[in-house]
Amino acid sequence: MAEIACTHCNLTFDESVMITEKQNDKELNFCCKGCQGVYHLLESEGLDTFYDKLGNTTLQPASTQISADLEKFDLEGFKNKYIKSTEDGLSEIHLIIEGIHCSACVWLNEKVLHKTNGIIEASINYTNNKAKVVWDPEEVKLSQIIETIRSIGYNAYPYDPSLQEERANKTKKEYYSRILVAVFGSMNIMWIAIAHYAGYFTGMQQNFKDILNVAEFILATPVLFYSGWIFFRGAYYGFKNHIVNMDTLVASGALSAYIYSIYAMTTQHGEVYFDSVVMIITFVLVGKYLEVLSKKHAVDTLDSIMGSTPTEVTTVKNSIKSLVSVENIQVGDLIELKPGEKVVIDGQVTSGQGSFDESSLTGENEPVFKQNGDTVLSGSICLDSVIHYEASKDVSGSLLTSIVSLLEESITKKPHIEQLANTISGYFSNIILLIALLSFAGWYYWSGNFETALIIGISVIVIACPCALGLATPMATLVGISIAAKRGILFKEATFLETMAKSRLLALDKTGTITEGKPSVIKAEFYGDFDPALLLALVNTSNHPVSKGIARYLIQENDTLEPVHITAIKSIEAKGIEAEVDSKKLLGGNASLLQERGIKVDTVSENTLFLFAVDGTVAARFELTDTIREGAKEAISAIQKMGIKIVMLTGDHEQSALKVANAVGIQTIHAKLLPQEKSALIQDFQKKGEVVVMVGDGINDAIALAQSNIAIAMGQGADVAISVSDVVLLDERPQSILDAYTLSRRTFSAVKENLGFSLLYNVIAVPLAVAGFVNPLIAALSMSLSSLIVVGNSMRIKLLKFKDLSHE
Amino acid sequence: MSENIVILMIGVSTFLGALGLIALLWGVKTGQFDDQSKFIDAARYDGEEELRDAVMMQKKQEMQNKKMQKKKAQKKKEEEEKKKKNYMPAD
Repeated sequence: MAEIACTHCNLTFDESVMITEKQNDKELNFCCKGCQGVYHLLESEGLDTFYDKLGNTTLQPASTQISADLEKFDLEGFKNKYIKSTEDGLSEIHLIIEGIHCSACVWLNEKVLHKTNGIIEASINYTNNKAKVVWDPEEVKLSQIIETIRSIGYNAYPYDPSLQEERANKTKKEYYSRILVAVFGSMNIMWIAIAHYAGYFTGMQQNFKDILNVAEFILATPVLFYSGWIFFRGAYYGFKNHIVNMDTLVASGALSAYIYSIYAMTTQHGEVYFDSVVMIITFVLVGKYLEVLSKKHAVDTLDSIMGSTPTEVTTVKNSIKSLVSVENIQVGDLIELKPGEKVVIDGQVTSGQGSFDESSLTGENEPVFKQNGDTVLSGSICLDSVIHYEASKDVSGSLLTSIVSLLEESITKKPHIEQLANTISGYFSNIILLIALLSFAGWYYWSGNFETALIIGISVIVIACPCALGLATPMATLVGISIAAKRGILFKEATFLETMAKSRLLALDKTGTITEGKPSVIKAEFYGDFDPALLLALVNTSNHPVSKGIARYLIQENDTLEPVHITAIKSIEAKGIEAEVDSKKLLGGNASLLQERGIKVDTVSENTLFLFAVDGTVAARFELTDTIREGAKEAISAIQKMGIKIVMLTGDHEQSALKVANAVGIQTIHAKLLPQEKSALIQDFQKKGEVVVMVGDGINDAIALAQSNIAIAMGQGADVAISVSDVVLLDERPQSILDAYTLSRRTFSAVKENLGFSLLYNVIAVPLAVAGFVNPLIAALSMSLSSLIVVGNSMRIKLLKFKDLSHE
Repeated sequence: MSENIVILMIGVSTFLGALGLIALLWGVKTGQFDDQSKFIDAARYDGEEELRDAVMMQKKQEMQNKKMQKKKAQKKKEEEEKKKKNYMPAD
């Protein structure tokens, strides 16, 4: 049997399972009805050039979408939340389009939307797959638009961009425009200034000097007032709150130099300082822009945690099933859960039994078996059976909702660690302004010449050059985060490097962080003629983590496994799976399932057991356990050697927590913690003055992550955990935590060096200015040089060598 | 070298540069640099068909605008008529 590719989605499947059809001597193969439907739709619309554009990219097989929830898009409440009405009576919505794999998908979606009547504008961002759609509500309804997107095999859900994302983009754009003006101004002024400098040494006629002065003046004005507006604003707010900050220094320095230069230009004696004005503004603005650029993206995924939960549940009343919106569920209502459904309302099981995935609450991937009388918690997922349960709380009182509200609270409560540069620049600005004032007063008193005294005063502020100071932190941290990104450590904001370097306490989650978070085979025994292909086919039918662990193991151990077509698949609640192939009966599951069927098995094991029987005889026996990540022990001991205390926080019970803790060498453990307890513990540490770094991966860690000073999430972790975290480890190696520490400390020391240097520079340069030895050329040179030194020193971070623990 | 030449040289070059800067600022303002991948990816789908598509969208927009104008005009008329109705000649 050969593998062939689906005509629509390009995924390869076995020939026997494909839907084939003939069309004009061309043979078409589809993996499912969904793909077939989409193909014919595109063809009839004349959009089949999509497949040429697609090339060899594989898509997600198009699912035959249910249209039951389409109505919700036309409801009043939905409209108020997501749809914006423009002045012309048009509606506007922002959508995230799911299932986009390549630019051809973007093309197709845009094309189809453009062809839809009533849609006035549809643009999809190639980078983040977010779409903006404007339509005429009189001609087309939103539900029809969503249906159109679904009909071609994608899905769309709305999001609210007015939150922080839009604001962040706006600031970025604003800074970008200001920098463009500043760079344009300073570059042009520099070449005019060179003519000026040449004039010092060779002599220049006053009339030429005047031309150059006026040209510089024209160029400097927009730079000072447009690009430098940010500093004036900052200085104003500082003044209002009685704080002298960097902005005060920059604004007063640039403005006074500018005013003096105008005076020098009009009276035709003295030198102009326009080049210094634009240079100060440009350098410090670039530093600020680097900070804005690396600012963390706002948490807009909080919407998605609520967005992914069902908005309706099936209730059973007098044996009549009906879909009811979750807000209308009252305590005591009977709710039906189907396999794969997410629980939104807490309750108690009244009939049926089955296993639940509670990983979003406890972090444990092992499903929990529930039967009559057991409590069902919202956020868990029903895995394998139909269950009826009685609501014990309404939706706002349910665990999932309270976790979300706690999360929102923690994000706003997150303690702020003051950056070193900010602390220093406050003092620095005060001192410089004072020195400038004193030297002005001194010179005026001793020389009696007002003009000279003014020049000296201004030159002190200009030469004190906040450039190096302004670049010290952003430059170093930018280099730091780019190196981190190359190693698969994503710092969402540059300042997090500095905060992390100050941390002395590391809190680790157990499952999914220290351990793999999924059961893997540690022991396998085979009896008789065991055929791994049969077992693979069997376990592939189940989503249970144990089945997945077995499947992974089989694929790893056997190079090629021929797919086997099995029939009569039946999953037995919380115990195993059963199927038939060529009149052979296959059975896979835990020990009690096999014992029930009268098969004798060895049940002695401290790990999870999975047994596989063919026609009543055991063919294979597997022991599975959640294994500790490779290199965890080495990484933990190396971090401890750096003088960082490590604690383990877990929702698991004490025994298994201790086992893992002993294996990796952690002394302090806190077990059996609920999500909010983890966060409370972090808060306790912070009250004791600790800067806490927390590593976690699940929804259950999200609140604690949001509370900690630095939150590190595993790249495969839950979306919410990733979105509230400050650092993401893409490769999930424990060594990356160590690397993150090493790098943040190295970066912070570079920041300190940079700050130290710029202070040292001032200690030398300011007395020169006070003594009156500074002219525009010296000011420009020293400014550029000091900034270059800061940049160069920051580049040295690139030389940092990381310890490779795996080869020790 | 006379002063006028220097003024002309500085003036013309700065003016040309400023034109470029204004074009760039306009690009930033209208969101042309918002989508990095579009630079590379969208170029592949830039053909005759896409041009026709764009024209179609523009026509749609124009039609919409016309419709709105009509509506507004109608509204205005209605309001005026109302005013007229309300107007009572003094007898």
